[in-house]
Amino acid sequence: MAARAKVLLVDDDEDLVQVLSLVLEDRGYQVVSETRAEAAVATVDRERPDLIVQDVMMPDATEGFHVVWHLRQRPEAYFHDVPIIILTAIHQKTPLRFYPDSGDGTYRAGEFLPIQGFVDKPVDPARLLEEIDRVLAVTRTA
Amino acid sequence: MPERPAVLPATQELIARIAWLGRLRSLAAAGVLVFVEVGRRTLGFQLDPRPIYALVVLLAGYNLAVALTYRAMRRRRHSGQSASGAGWQPAGPLARFLLPRLGPDMVYDREAGQAAVMAGSQIAADLLILAALLHFSGGVENPLRALFVLHLIISGILLSRSATYLFATLGVALYAAMVLGELYGVLPHYPLSAHWRPDAYLDPRLVGTHLFLFGVLLYVAAYLGSEIETRLRWRERYVVALARELAQKSDRAEAAYQELRTVERAQSEYMRKVAHELRGPLGTIRTALGVVLETPSAMPREKRLDLTRRAYRRSGELAQVTQELLTLARARSNSVAVMRSPLHPAAVAAPVIEELRPQAEKKEVALVVSTDAVPEILGDAEGLADLMSNLLSNAIRYTPSGGRVDFHLRQAEGGLVIEVADTGIGIRQEDLPRIYEEFYRSRAAREAVPDGTGLGMSIVRAVVERHHGTISVESAVGTGTRVTVTIPRG
Repeated sequence: MAARAKVLLVDDDEDLVQVLSLVLEDRGYQVVSETRAEAAVATVDRERPDLIVQDVMMPDATEGFHVVWHLRQRPEAYFHDVPIIILTAIHQKTPLRFYPDSGDGTYRAGEFLPIQGFVDKPVDPARLLEEIDRVLAVTRTA
Repeated sequence: MPERPAVLPATQELIARIAWLGRLRSLAAAGVLVFVEVGRRTLGFQLDPRPIYALVVLLAGYNLAVALTYRAMRRRRHSGQSASGAGWQPAGPLARFLLPRLGPDMVYDREAGQAAVMAGSQIAADLLILAALLHFSGGVENPLRALFVLHLIISGILLSRSATYLFATLGVALYAAMVLGELYGVLPHYPLSAHWRPDAYLDPRLVGTHLFLFGVLLYVAAYLGSEIETRLRWRERYVVALARELAQKSDRAEAAYQELRTVERAQSEYMRKVAHELRGPLGTIRTALGVVLETPSAMPREKRLDLTRRAYRRSGELAQVTQELLTLARARSNSVAVMRSPLHPAAVAAPVIEELRPQAEKKEVALVVSTDAVPEILGDAEGLADLMSNLLSNAIRYTPSGGRVDFHLRQAEGGLVIEVADTGIGIRQEDLPRIYEEFYRSRAAREAVPDGTGLGMSIVRAVVERHHGTISVESAVGTGTRVTVTIPRG
């Protein structure tokens, strides 16, 4: 089941998107990608992925976070529930705390980012695969 | 910038001393009363006490007036208002005569001036009253003439040397007028005591000796008083000047420190930008190579090759960025000697144009070059080549096929003019202010030409600034861009 999951990669670095697509496809995931942050929400709406891997440091600073908030603000349950993993090089420095894994797939707004996981940049492919497996396992059992 | 007048400790001292003068005067008045009464009862004084009492009453009354004025002055001082109520004002000419001399760049304020005038008038009034008291209590017979010395010491402490000598002269004049007046019968004589040679005031030798010694005494007192005080003031001025110098130095140090902090902040910001810019491609390269190295050999060869090719291309991008960062650093820090080498602009332009011409031809962009016979200038040939190369390369890159790029060198009043005009995509007005920012690439630029470091215009501006030149960019979206650089002849 997990092997058929559809993953959306959002990163402005075309090469990184291609590299990660190769890795994820190699693992059996279905991969779609988007390199423009402003188009990400529309792409999510169109593709309805099972998981989003979102870069935070896009050309205009925190555009990646904006994408996350825009997604979560949509009324449909899908946008509320779709798990998001962010790619970041700043998770140890940001004053925002990342969503703690409460195991039930829910998130709380406020000081927590409504995301389910993060992977440091530069991306270690093995670590990304692990994180995707973990997040998908959590959301599917919920 | 005019020197801010120093608030001298002397001003405060002067005002405080007025109260002190008043207290001394009260003591003196009481002393005179005691002296007269004790003298009448035990020493056989035969003087008429009425004029003396009248003078003591006068002294007390004027002392009270001084005390009241002084209190008003203090109140004004404490409520923070200046004497005139309209900011800082210098002391008047009379006060400047009375006050001890200051350094050339220091001025007394109006308040110190008023205190000095008060102190001076009191001393003058005291001398007059003292002379009158002496006159009514025996004239030359009265040994209390020594009290004049006290006033000269006080004047020496508070006032200028010239003022002190003036008061010494006044004292001598008053005394001389009194004793000579009595000697020659112009003034009546009021004997002090029948036992103390009642006819002494009529002895010219005795009067002359007294007058001479009195004069010597007063001038010596004036000399000693002002001499000691001059030394003290010299030291005080030195301390004040030192304090002010220290304050100025610490101000300068503070300003330099702030400037340094600003530079330091700009530097860290720049470092952060550079690191961020390098981190992106490096991360991608690392991830791509990591995949090639670690994925099972089941991955098709062509996919591995694709990953490796991407990593290779991105490392080329990194090499380009670091190359341009070095160019930028050099453009910003070239030595004065390098900046002032004689060069022929057309000769600098030629290889740049030849290097970029194939690029223009490949894109089918017409490259029109006109380098008028421009004279030699002083400047940095390498920097100017970087400048021309970046302007020309931008023009070619952002001009679609079929377009035209003009490269023009000419001589103008302001020096050498380098003009690069294209029929390219243009720059939006709101993007124009940002084009010199390191790594900045407008959205339109990124979309039209994916590759680019965003450092070209930073290099151009750095070269222009090092040459003290000017740069202007006119642009219209969809029509083209014209960059005009003027470099002074040096």
